[in-house]
Amino acid sequence: MTPSASPSGSLYFAIQRRRNRGLGGLYLVVAAFLVVYGVLFPGLLSVGGFSKFSQNWFPLALVTMAQALLMLNGGISLAIGPLVSLGGVVAAITMGGPAGAFGGLLAVVVAGLVIGALTGLIVAYMRLPAIIVTLAGSFIITGVALLLLPRPGGSIPDWLSQALAGQQPTAFALLVLVLCAWKLFLATPLGIGVYAVGDNPVGAFRSGVPVERVRVVSFAVSGLLAALAGLFVAAQTGSGDPVIGTSFTLNSIAGAVLGGVGFLGGKGTMRGAIAGSLLLSVMINVMFFLGFPPVAQYVAQGVIIVGAVAIPEFAGRWRKA
Amino acid sequence: MSRIASNLHLGRALLAGAAIAVFSLAIASQANAAAACIKGDRKAPFTVGWANIYSVPTWMKQTEGTITDEVATLKKAGLVKDLMITDAQGNAQTQIQQIQSMIDANLDAIIVEAGSSTALNRVIADACTKGIAVINFDSLVDTDKLTAKINTDSNEWGSRAATWLVDQLHGKGKIVIMNGPAGVSVSDDRRKGAQPVLAANPGIEVITETNTEYNVAPAQEAMTSLLFAHPDIDGVLSLGGALSAGSVMAFDRQGRAQVPTTGENARQFLELWKAKKLKGWATMQPNWLGALSVYTAVKALQGQDVPAFIKVPLPVIDDSTIDGYLAKAKDFPADGYIYSSYDQALFDKLLAQH
Repeated sequence: MTPSASPSGSLYFAIQRRRNRGLGGLYLVVAAFLVVYGVLFPGLLSVGGFSKFSQNWFPLALVTMAQALLMLNGGISLAIGPLVSLGGVVAAITMGGPAGAFGGLLAVVVAGLVIGALTGLIVAYMRLPAIIVTLAGSFIITGVALLLLPRPGGSIPDWLSQALAGQQPTAFALLVLVLCAWKLFLATPLGIGVYAVGDNPVGAFRSGVPVERVRVVSFAVSGLLAALAGLFVAAQTGSGDPVIGTSFTLNSIAGAVLGGVGFLGGKGTMRGAIAGSLLLSVMINVMFFLGFPPVAQYVAQGVIIVGAVAIPEFAGRWRKA
Repeated sequence: MSRIASNLHLGRALLAGAAIAVFSLAIASQANAAAACIKGDRKAPFTVGWANIYSVPTWMKQTEGTITDEVATLKKAGLVKDLMITDAQGNAQTQIQQIQSMIDANLDAIIVEAGSSTALNRVIADACTKGIAVINFDSLVDTDKLTAKINTDSNEWGSRAATWLVDQLHGKGKIVIMNGPAGVSVSDDRRKGAQPVLAANPGIEVITETNTEYNVAPAQEAMTSLLFAHPDIDGVLSLGGALSAGSVMAFDRQGRAQVPTTGENARQFLELWKAKKLKGWATMQPNWLGALSVYTAVKALQGQDVPAFIKVPLPVIDDSTIDGYLAKAKDFPADGYIYSSYDQALFDKLLAQH
């Protein structure tokens, strides 16, 4: 193939290949776990089994995307978990009322976007460290969620629970949709800006990238994803719980880092982050079916995470040598 | 059914109708006798899963001990084949995933220590629909689509502790109330239970209340500063074991005379109670609720009807019984809970209540 025949095509695939570099090890580990899981639990291949599995993975995939999006442009959020809780709480207290399911969805979307954008504005324009702003934000958001719903309760219409977390792979379809939307977003100037700002903020600024605006948009979209994950968890459980999201903060960071997303920005891919979250999720089920006692699960979890990060790293060094 | 049958004129149809009636009656009576969720299609030996929310605290480890002991006993009797334990590491969403895995693995019984009162409702109902015996103890869920819930009464805990203290003080004196963390349902419920007793005894003056984690150090710290501020404390209404130990140690460090103190069956508190010769009273959340859950699940699977809610009476430790508990202290961890003894007879009695 000559460069003139299909320049965009070859460049595109060359870039994709380069971006997949270093992730091969992770993909292999994830694939191995999926195979083991499928062997131990053949029901995974049935529609119902696949649906239930993807439902338990879906919220983690969403929050990992929310976290990766921020980490790609050099940010981070410690408020992901509380935002999941808040999204669930808002859904659970609005959907049962006069607002209905659609009104509730709107409320969750607005809550996620506004809180995310506000955080982004503070980080971008006041130039405060994202980690501190979101740490403070996590306390505030947790407080608000507890004020709105002091004890677990509220309700989600049963048809919505059935539609999102029933016997059909709706959650997986939604994940594919979100990934397509991410691809489209990357094709816009703002989307390219996400990487540029994380990689080299000064260079991006000189090239005309609206650095501050990119940061604010990233935080807003990230907030939206986290709040929607909360809506999904509420639908999955049929009600709201003001503290259910807490552990999503750490898991979202773990998923993103496992997926090769760097803390310093500009490094990593969304597909890697998704694979990282899938590993975290499938690992729990595989350890169950292998009959690991809880203490061994703690140890195995640590070993798997370190291994999944270390293997690609060593493979990379070996290739260079 | 009889009205429909009388409308049928052909003898053969009548016969068929009668047969159906008898058959459906048989099914109905079977359904009445069996516990919720049980379909009667699962045969011993059974596989049992314990979906724990968090296995690290000492109370949970001891509870796990009673569960594995009970499973060992039932294994010998040929009733249980396997026990699978999961630890959701405090994450209710992980617990959903693990219970789903237990359903996928087609276990016969699932014992649940819930991490959220609502989050597990749907997955538990799913398990119930599949004919799995679901038993929930200690930290309860909202849904009723399960075989049985097992717990003590936290309100009663508070009211009985308060009653004892009021009696000790002859209805007159200044007390401090020590609570667990605010917003935690167990802590709130115990405190609520104490309120009517305190309200009925205006001679008892509540100087102040503390809210701390259920650990010795923060409780001791809180009591130490209270002792500086209040020279006259006549009694301590502590609503959790480690809290009482912290309180007794604070009194001791400052050289203050011990006052009547309530508490829980924490080994540390019981030993201080004896060593410092104080007037004490304690109750407990028995760790064997775990063992009872396994036993209940197996009974239900065998076709026995079990109550939807099994209320376990609070075992009480007072000055007359504490020696018996301390005698077996060496069998329990230093930071653990000395629970009352249990056996199959006790379990059968609890299951017989309605």
